[in-house]
Amino acid sequence: MDSSKKTVLHGWHVENGANMALFGNYDMPLWYKTGVKAEHLAVIQGAGIFDTSHMAVVLVKGEGARVLLQHCLSKDLDSCLGKGKTPLVDGRCVYGVFLKADGTVIDDAIVYQLEAESFMVVVNAGMGGEIASHLVTNAGEGAVIVVDMTDRVGKMDIQGPDSARILGKILKGPAAVFERLAYFSFKGGFGDLQTSSHVELEGGTPVLISRTGYTGEFGFELFVPIKNLVALWSMLLEAGLDKGILACGLAARDSLRAGAVLPLSHQDIGPWPFLNNPWPFALPWNDDTTTFSKDFIGAAALLQKSWGKHTLPFAGFDPRKIAAEGESFVTSETGERLGTILTCTTDMAIGRVAGEIVSVAGDKEFQAKGLCCGFVLLDKKCFPGEQIILTDGKRQIKVEIRADVRPNRTARKAMNTMLV
Amino acid sequence: MKELSELIFGKGLRYTDDHEWVSEGGDTLKIGVSDYAQDQMGDIVFVELPEVGAVFEKGDEFGTLESVKAVSELYIPISGEVVAVNEDLGDAPELINQDPYANWIIEIKPSDTGELENLLNVDAYRELLKG
Repeated sequence: MDSSKKTVLHGWHVENGANMALFGNYDMPLWYKTGVKAEHLAVIQGAGIFDTSHMAVVLVKGEGARVLLQHCLSKDLDSCLGKGKTPLVDGRCVYGVFLKADGTVIDDAIVYQLEAESFMVVVNAGMGGEIASHLVTNAGEGAVIVVDMTDRVGKMDIQGPDSARILGKILKGPAAVFERLAYFSFKGGFGDLQTSSHVELEGGTPVLISRTGYTGEFGFELFVPIKNLVALWSMLLEAGLDKGILACGLAARDSLRAGAVLPLSHQDIGPWPFLNNPWPFALPWNDDTTTFSKDFIGAAALLQKSWGKHTLPFAGFDPRKIAAEGESFVTSETGERLGTILTCTTDMAIGRVAGEIVSVAGDKEFQAKGLCCGFVLLDKKCFPGEQIILTDGKRQIKVEIRADVRPNRTARKAMNTMLV
Repeated sequence: MKELSELIFGKGLRYTDDHEWVSEGGDTLKIGVSDYAQDQMGDIVFVELPEVGAVFEKGDEFGTLESVKAVSELYIPISGEVVAVNEDLGDAPELINQDPYANWIIEIKPSDTGELENLLNVDAYRELLKG
């Protein structure tokens, strides 16, 4: 029997010719008829929309909500915002991970402070139940209500430099909504996800609009009552027609996030310690990275630092890939076995000019054929610029350890520059 | 994904169950991949071609097609010597997505044209795709 799940946009995906595949037990679009390259480039140069309603929302409410999240989430909610590391406040959100006591990853999450005693936790597809029960198990004395809202919240993303110009067309009072909507902040809400601010679409649908996404590009994650999601999807496609907006599938999401050096949970982070990776900002390190600013589940294990492996980003010299599966492995240039491949995909917006990685978003003229990129898990630390070999036992591809991959990303651009 | 009714089939071609096609007749044969194959793979970003002059036995791997999704090996359906490769694919691998029949991958001089008889005709290939 087919036990796979469908989002409310499933019918639209199929009608519009998407190549479908299972992801987190949801039947999801990989790409549509325009193809993944056009979708990837739309997000770099214009805008694309993604069905992300397979992701799970968990609501954490009550007097003990903040204390519980402080105990379970890797990010220090009392010391996380900006350079001054001020406490999380209403209308702001943070990225962190939920760890087991041994420091291994259950899942990553964005935690939104809706109100002082109300938090929205957004985790990956199929993880709502597990994260909710993890929170309940660790709730202790404080009064907390944990609600797994899996499949009950409509969620989609609009990503790309034209996102605000397009979204603005379907919002009521867009200028006020976008005002001071900094990276990792949000406004609006509805139902159980109520906040002190209110944002509506033209037509009256309440929406929670968050200046986040998982592509490395400027844009928003949008939450609406689930009955309104299909209508919002269609409104954005129509509003973005003149900007060449495209519906984008999971393949473009994967290549965009890999180029932006963002991890895919259960692939780049998972049942191994959350250490020696490109995402130390998800941990509450003190200034000299000797200890944490708070205690939390998994902290003690991480501080013992007994983990010898290193997760490192890489990029190739052409689009060729080695599948991150089965017999594939990583060697040094002299053939010494170094580790495994976690992610290997092609960022189609980039290429190399005289060895340097350039993007179609930059000002250099070049023909973007794409570069392979992703993450490797190595038994020793390698440094940016060092070359390693990816192989499936037959083919060998030389790639370079990188500090970063796709240049000219727009995620952190100032809002006012993205509206004109 | 294309429905069976939307798939294009080339004229005068034989097919393999690996979704490759071989042209029929003539001293040399062209080899490519079917519309079904390119649709399943998605955008092709790189084509690895053999050297002209390389000799392959039926079933040997002669190159790879890389899409954003995966790397797919190409297996030669007929034994023979490579007499030409489609150099256009080096600069523009997406040509295979645009027209998988006009954009052949290699041309071979078969060592035994009788091997053609073992390949699928268009009706048999269509049946295979029905599953």
